[in-house]
This record gives sequence, structure tokens and C-alpha cells, in this order.
Amino acid sequence: MPTLALDPLDIALLESMSVRARVIVEGAFAGLHGNPHTGASIEFSEHKEYAPGDDIRRIDWKAVGRVDRYYLKRFEDETEMRSFLLLDSSASMGYGRKGVSKLAYASYLAAALAYLLAQQGDPAGLLVFDAETRQYLPPRTRGGHIRDLLVALEAVTPAGRTEPGRALAYVGELADRKSLVVLFSDLLDAPVDLADRLRQLRSRGHDVALFQILDPDEVALPFDEVTDFEAIEPGDTRRLLVDPRDLAASFERESAALRERWRRTCVEARVEYQFATTAQPPADVLRAFLFARQRARR
Amino acid sequence: MHFLAPSLLLGLLAAALPAIIHRIGRRHARPVRFAAMELLLRAEHEVSARRRLRDALLLFARTGLAMALPLAFARPFAEVRSDLPAVTGRSQSAVVVLDDSASMRRRAADGGTPFEAARAKARAVIEHLSADSEVALVLASEGSAAPIAELASDRARVVAALEAVPSSARRADFAAALRRATQILAGSTRADRLIYVATDLQAAGWDDVKPAAGPGAPQIVLLDASGGAAWTNRAVVALAAEPAPEEGAQGIAVIAEIANFSPEPVRNLGVTLALDGAEVARGFVDVPAAGRARKRFVLTTAGGSAHEAEVAIDKDSFPLDDRRACLVEASRGLRVLIVDGDPRTVRTEDETFFLEAALRAGGSGFSVTSTLPDDLAGRDLSGFGAIFLANVNRPTPTVAAALIHYVEAGGGLFISVGDRVDTDAWNQAAKAILPQPLGLRRSAAALPGAHAEGETVDLRPAERLAPIDRRHPLLSAFPAHGDGLSSARFFQYMLLSPLPDAPGRQIVLRYESGAPALVEAEVGRGRVLLLTTTIDREWTDLPIRPGFLPLIQETARYLAGAPSGEAATAIAVGQKREIALEPDDRRVEIVPPAGESHWLTPPARGGDAHTRRTLTFAETDEPGFYRVRAARGDGTISERPDAAFVVNLDARESDPARLPDDKRPDRVTASATTGVAPRRRLELWHALGAAAIALVLLESLLTLRFRRGRVKA
Repeated sequence: MPTLALDPLDIALLESMSVRARVIVEGAFAGLHGNPHTGASIEFSEHKEYAPGDDIRRIDWKAVGRVDRYYLKRFEDETEMRSFLLLDSSASMGYGRKGVSKLAYASYLAAALAYLLAQQGDPAGLLVFDAETRQYLPPRTRGGHIRDLLVALEAVTPAGRTEPGRALAYVGELADRKSLVVLFSDLLDAPVDLADRLRQLRSRGHDVALFQILDPDEVALPFDEVTDFEAIEPGDTRRLLVDPRDLAASFERESAALRERWRRTCVEARVEYQFATTAQPPADVLRAFLFARQRARR
Repeated sequence: MHFLAPSLLLGLLAAALPAIIHRIGRRHARPVRFAAMELLLRAEHEVSARRRLRDALLLFARTGLAMALPLAFARPFAEVRSDLPAVTGRSQSAVVVLDDSASMRRRAADGGTPFEAARAKARAVIEHLSADSEVALVLASEGSAAPIAELASDRARVVAALEAVPSSARRADFAAALRRATQILAGSTRADRLIYVATDLQAAGWDDVKPAAGPGAPQIVLLDASGGAAWTNRAVVALAAEPAPEEGAQGIAVIAEIANFSPEPVRNLGVTLALDGAEVARGFVDVPAAGRARKRFVLTTAGGSAHEAEVAIDKDSFPLDDRRACLVEASRGLRVLIVDGDPRTVRTEDETFFLEAALRAGGSGFSVTSTLPDDLAGRDLSGFGAIFLANVNRPTPTVAAALIHYVEAGGGLFISVGDRVDTDAWNQAAKAILPQPLGLRRSAAALPGAHAEGETVDLRPAERLAPIDRRHPLLSAFPAHGDGLSSARFFQYMLLSPLPDAPGRQIVLRYESGAPALVEAEVGRGRVLLLTTTIDREWTDLPIRPGFLPLIQETARYLAGAPSGEAATAIAVGQKREIALEPDDRRVEIVPPAGESHWLTPPARGGDAHTRRTLTFAETDEPGFYRVRAARGDGTISERPDAAFVVNLDARESDPARLPDDKRPDRVTASATTGVAPRRRLELWHALGAAAIALVLLESLLTLRFRRGRVKA
């Protein structure tokens, strides 16, 4: 499928986060719909032809006007769906040796999702966290909220250690009805209880999605000379002076094992898992995510 | 440790280079703040053990290489105490004489042999000689070729030749070895010329040694490989077989002589007789201190063929001389064939009348057959214990060949002459069996002296016999003064052409003039007696003398009991063996006691068609039985038991007597040359060079595996 997806470095060059979000969404929907702003929804399901007995309040009058037939507009949730976008802003998310950092990449994806949700009138909130909650914008639908959210995403900087479990617990307290919870993190140092938190959210009826974002360096070690590695997160004093060529094969196996472990955890917890490296076009990742959700709904 | 070029040791500083390079590499490592530290540490943990080992090995290999090279270039050496004579360190021309004689094969107390010790000493001398010295290698065993017969500077070649020398079973002959060494050194212009003799200092073999004297004579240095300890020995030093009449015609007595070369007597020493490989008798013998004892075994065997007899005593540290072998053959029986060369119609005038009468005399036990020369060609002679040829004119070639074969196979032949004998024909056709060539007929010049009372007086000039020697078995039965023979008169007899003395040939009876009357010769495994007068009364009155009958009967028994035992069939190790060929023999196979057979091809027949062809076999290096087989013209291969022979150790090798100091030919010793204990230099740079090569290989291997691992990754 031909796409108009820009790679992350091109997206980083764009003027503002709102533009980046719009470009990513358009890229994701390019070739999928003629116009992504019409009828596009992360929760829109399908049209159904009217039959006697159906609720006439669900008739899509615009469709009647276009095709002169009665169609019912069907949604997964008939009410507005609140979404919480959880962005890991710990220091490790700031790693990006050649391209954009993982944090920037996650911000692009979060902005695009927020933009898409705003387009369909669903309220989206933002929670930026490291070991603590650094910023929280609750889900709203008022005008200007999306702009505040995108501005907040643009202003995020990496710092501190990561505690995604706490952020999930916090969202669990905030979400009093069924919500969509989307977590963006590299999960490199995520504690084992994160899986429990994910399961808890699912058990409360929330819809949960997990974006694991890694730098390509974290998939395969590309270094070719003796390197003095030091941990990036504050308080972590671990160092390793090594010739990375000695470790490349082993590192690649460990990285693949980590990803596989999180994928399996998500499958077991019925959480949608999406992996991305910061070298992939964000639009492709978004499209893959939407397709996966669509398939899961059917 | 010492160094020839110590200044090059500064290069050892290079040993720090690998560590320095390693540290510099670490210092210049690029710092990277990395998020996936956990993954990195896990990966590092997975490979750390292997990587650390590899790094340690690499560091070791590189540091070791950096140390080994300057160390090797500095030419290190160590000085160690040496038991070699100090003279070995001088620039010289040297000949190393290695004692490879049989006694060097005995087992010493440490389990090794003096031969191994001697070789080690010889090798040490060769290696310790100064670099510009030249050396040759000679062996001390009798008849051995010199492995390095010319002075050579390539010591590696000399050492290789030394290592290839096998120990032999031959006797030592130091006289010949020293003569050879002196000849080799005669071509050298160096002032220092030495002969090193690595030996166990056994006295045997030094008998005829006369070291060269004078200002230019080489110095002799003895290298004692005996280990210093005296050794004792017991050995079977002789083995003989003889007829054993008490067991009948097929009886054989095997007599072993056992020597005890120790100051202590030996009691109940086990002695075993094996016949054709099977043990047939065992006994015990007491041998006095430094003395000898005889053990006699009596047995009966089938006649007509030889048997392999071996006597062995209980083993000691020198097992090679604890056994001795011989071929034995029982008497062929008392069948006698008389060939009448001058038959007459009147019985009493017949040439063989008196001979036949003597053989047929009552109680003799002889089975006598008479025949004429013309009938001899078609007869099978092998069944007769003795054949008497009386005044036979000339042997035809066929008859001569049959007689030669008969005698060499162990038969006994008696030849008497007469006026019918064609001396030229005999000398040509039967040269191989005649004890001496026949010569002119001689008539006695004067009347014999006084004759006994009542004796028939023949007035012809005559000679009598000289006093007899009763030590000969034929004559041992006669009285001391030869009564019965001494009265015989000889009117004519045949002179014999002189020949140089030969083993096995002796004059049994002489005339008063000194001319031979009865001559004996051993031919092959058989025996021939030649009477130089007639066997009838034509030339002598011997047939009517009282001694005639016992003489003829003893002669027949003597010839029929064919020689047997070691004397006739055995030779010493290293001696040559003549092997008589049949006319149709194309190739001859000699099967030694161990190892591969030797095939010999006889030379083409010469002009003398009647001369028996022989082959000489010289590779008699191991004691034991040597069998002979012949390939004939028709392609068949047959056993030649008559040509089989035995090789025994030279008994002198069994005597452990040590060469007395006053007989030692060495005039230069280590202590005499220098007052200090000699030391020798042990070069170490070869080992360091080898270590450097090994380290280079190790480093290359590790690096290669390292790169392959990365490519796979």
C-alpha cells in the first residue's frame, strides 16, 4: 500500500506539534479513506441498513442525503469515550543517538492519537510521568483543550527514573467509567508489577493499549569500537567498558527476549501491544495500531 | 642462566606493550550514556566468562611473545655439571666408537641396557663438541660397517646415524674398531684427535688392542656405560651332540657346557632341552663358582634327518646367552655300501675281499651291500650310513655329484686308492669331497726294519706307520703303541698334493716318511676318509694285520655316525655361512629365526661344470636356527635340511670380566685434563624460539576465532 508517511526526522522538522499530529494522522489514513476527517473514528464501527424495529434516532441522515437510503450509524460505545494518554518521560526515554529520541517519538504518536480523538469529539487527557506524575491534563472536550494538550506534549523533556506502574494506578483512580488508556514507554526498566497494573485496568473494563518504543540501538548494538557505556537514568551508577562487537549477538537476543516478554504479557492481559522503533514512520505505527484495534473489534 | 648477548635483554621492555596498548585503548574508549544498560549487562554476563578467558589468553600470548623474542635473541644458556670428559669442549677431530656388541644387550639394575647408556654418552659427547669440531662414528662389533666413516661437521647427521644404530649380537672387536678410528683420524690435520669409546668395559674384545703410540697418535677416552656395578652371568657356552650307542643306533647325546661367571656357586640351575621347538627334557645342574659344568641329555630320534636342538638355562640378566642351539642327526644305521673298483673272478683276489670280510665279521651288525662303479649312478645313496669306494677308476660327473650331495647331507665316505685310480679325473670331478688332491704314486724305497717273529715276510721295500695318536676316535680303541697296525707294511702309496690347513681336515695316520696314510675331512655335514694305499694286499699287507678288522669296523661306525652337534652345523653370530647349491637351484631363501627371509641368487655357473656352486650368506646377526629353501628351475620350492645351520652367540661375550685398569688404553681422562669438574653449556634459545612460535600460533588462532565469532554475530 503506498503511503505518504514521513519518517520521524522529517516530522521533527515540522513547525508545531499540531501540525505533526495532523500530518501523522493524514499519513495513517492516506489510501484508507478519501478524507480522514469524515466519519473517521477510532471507535466507529460500521453502517447498517435500517430495518423495521431499529431506533430511528440512529439513522445517519447525511448518508440518507447522499445515497437516498436509510442507514443506521453504529458505534462501539454510544456515549463519548474518555481517553488517557500516559507518556513516560523518564531520562531513558531521552535516548536517541542518530534520530529523534524515544520521548519525542512517543509524543508524536500521543499527539496524533489526541488529534484523532478530538476530531471525533472524544475527550482525551494526558498524563506525563516519570517516577512521579509530572503533568496531568484531564480529558475534556472543550475547545482549546487539544491545543493545550499538544503544547504540553511539545514541552515535555526527559528526566528522572521511570515508574509506569504508579501512573497506571493513578489513572485507575481517575477513570470512573470505561476509558481508553494508552501507555507510551520503552519499558526497559519497568518493574514486574506493571503487568499486574495492566490486568487490573482491564478487569475494571478499561480498554488498554501499550506502545513499546525503542531506539534502533536498543534492538541491535551498532557500535564498532571500545565503548564506555554508562546508565542514563539518574541515580543509576552502572557502567560497562566493553568492545560492543563482543556482545552484539547476545545483546540482540536479550532485546528480542524483552520484546517478546512484553508482547506475551499483553496478550495474556488482553492489552493491545504495539512495538515501534524510532526509525519507523509514526504514521505506519499508528495505522498498524488502528488496524489491530479494528480487527480486534470484529 | 647466562646470555651471549645480554644487551638485547632491553627488548624485554616490549613485554609491557600489550598491557599498555590495552590500557590506552580503555582510556580512549568513547563514553555513551545508554538506556538499555540492563540488556547490555545481561548480554555481557552471558559472554563474560568466555571473553575474559580469551582476553587473558590473548594478553598472555602477546606478552609472552614480546618476552620470548628478545630472550631468544639474547642467546640464553645454562651451565650444568657434566660427567663428560673436559676434553670434549676443545676443538678437535673425534671418532666415537660405540660398543654394540652382544654383552651390551644385558639388562642393568635400572632396567636399561649398557647399550642405551653407551649411546646416550656418545650422543652427549657429540652434542658437546665445540661447533667447529668434526666427528665420525664407528661400531665396535666384529665385522660391522662404520655408520659415519668420514669426519663430518654436520653433527645432526652423526646423531641421527647414532640413533639408528641397532644393538647387535656380535662379539666386540675393539682392535679393529680402534684401527678403523685411527685410520679415519689420520686424514685430519688438527692437533687434537680423539677416540671416544662408549663401552661397558667388558674385557672380551680388547685382547688384541694395541693403541697407537707416538706424538701424533690419537688420544683414547673410555666412556664407561656399565653403570659401575659388576655383573654376574650364567651361560650355555658350548653344545655338542654325539651318538649315544647305549640307546641304539638312533641314540643321540646332547651335551651342554654351562659356565657360571660369578664368585658364588649355582645350585639346581634348571636346564631344558627342546627338540624341534618342543621341550623334551628338563634337568638341573650345579655349577661351581667361576666354573663350568656339563649336562648330558640322551634321546632317540628318527634317523636320516636333522633336528633342531636347543638347550636353555634359567634366565638371568643376559638372556641372550642363556640358550644355545645345534642341529643333531641320529646315525643313519649300519648299512654299508662297498663299491668294488677292481673286481676279480677269483674271490680272494678281489679288491674288496678283505674289506667285505672285515665288515661281515660276526657281531659287527653291519648290513653290507656290494656294487660296481657302473651301477652306482642309479642308486639311492641316502639310505647308507657309509660308502666305501675301493680303487674306483674315475667317478662319472653324475656319480661325483651324487657322492658330493651324499656327503654334504651327512653321509660318510671312505676312499681307498689303487693302480686303477685316475688321479686327474678324481681331482677334477670330486674335488669338493677329496680331503686333499691325489698326487703321484710312490713306492717304498727301503726294506722295513725288523719284523715280528712268525710273520710272513714280503721282501719288497716297504714303509710302516708312524706312531698313532689315540685321541682320534678311530684310534682310541687301539693299544698305546698301535699294536695291530704298527706291523703293517706299505709297499706303495699315493702322495697327496699339499693344501693349507683347513678346519675339519686332519691326518689320522701317517707313514714313517711323514706322508699321509689316512686323511679325514669334514664336508658339509658329512665326513670323508681317504686311504692313500689299497684296501687289498696289492700295495700293503695291512688287510692281513690284526688291526685291520677293528680299524675297518671303527671306520664304518665312525662314518655312519655322521658328525652331529654344534661343531658341524653352528657358526658364531656375524660369521659367514657357505651354502652348497644343487645343480638346479635358481634362488635360495634363507629364513632367519626372526624377521624377513633373505633371497639369494647364485652366480652363473663357471667353466668348471663339476665344481659345486656355493653361496655365501653373511647376515647372521641373530642367534638361532636358519632354515634354507631352494627354488629350482622347474618352479618348485623345496626345503634344504642339509643346508640348514645354526648361529650361536660367541661365548666370549658371556664373560663379564672387566677390563683391568692396567690394560685400559685410555691415557687421557677428564680429571687428568682439568682439575675441576667439567661443566657443559645447555643452550636455551631453541626452546624459547619454539615457545615464540607456539605463542604466535596461539595468538593467531585466538584472533581468528574472535573474528569468526564477530562475523557470525
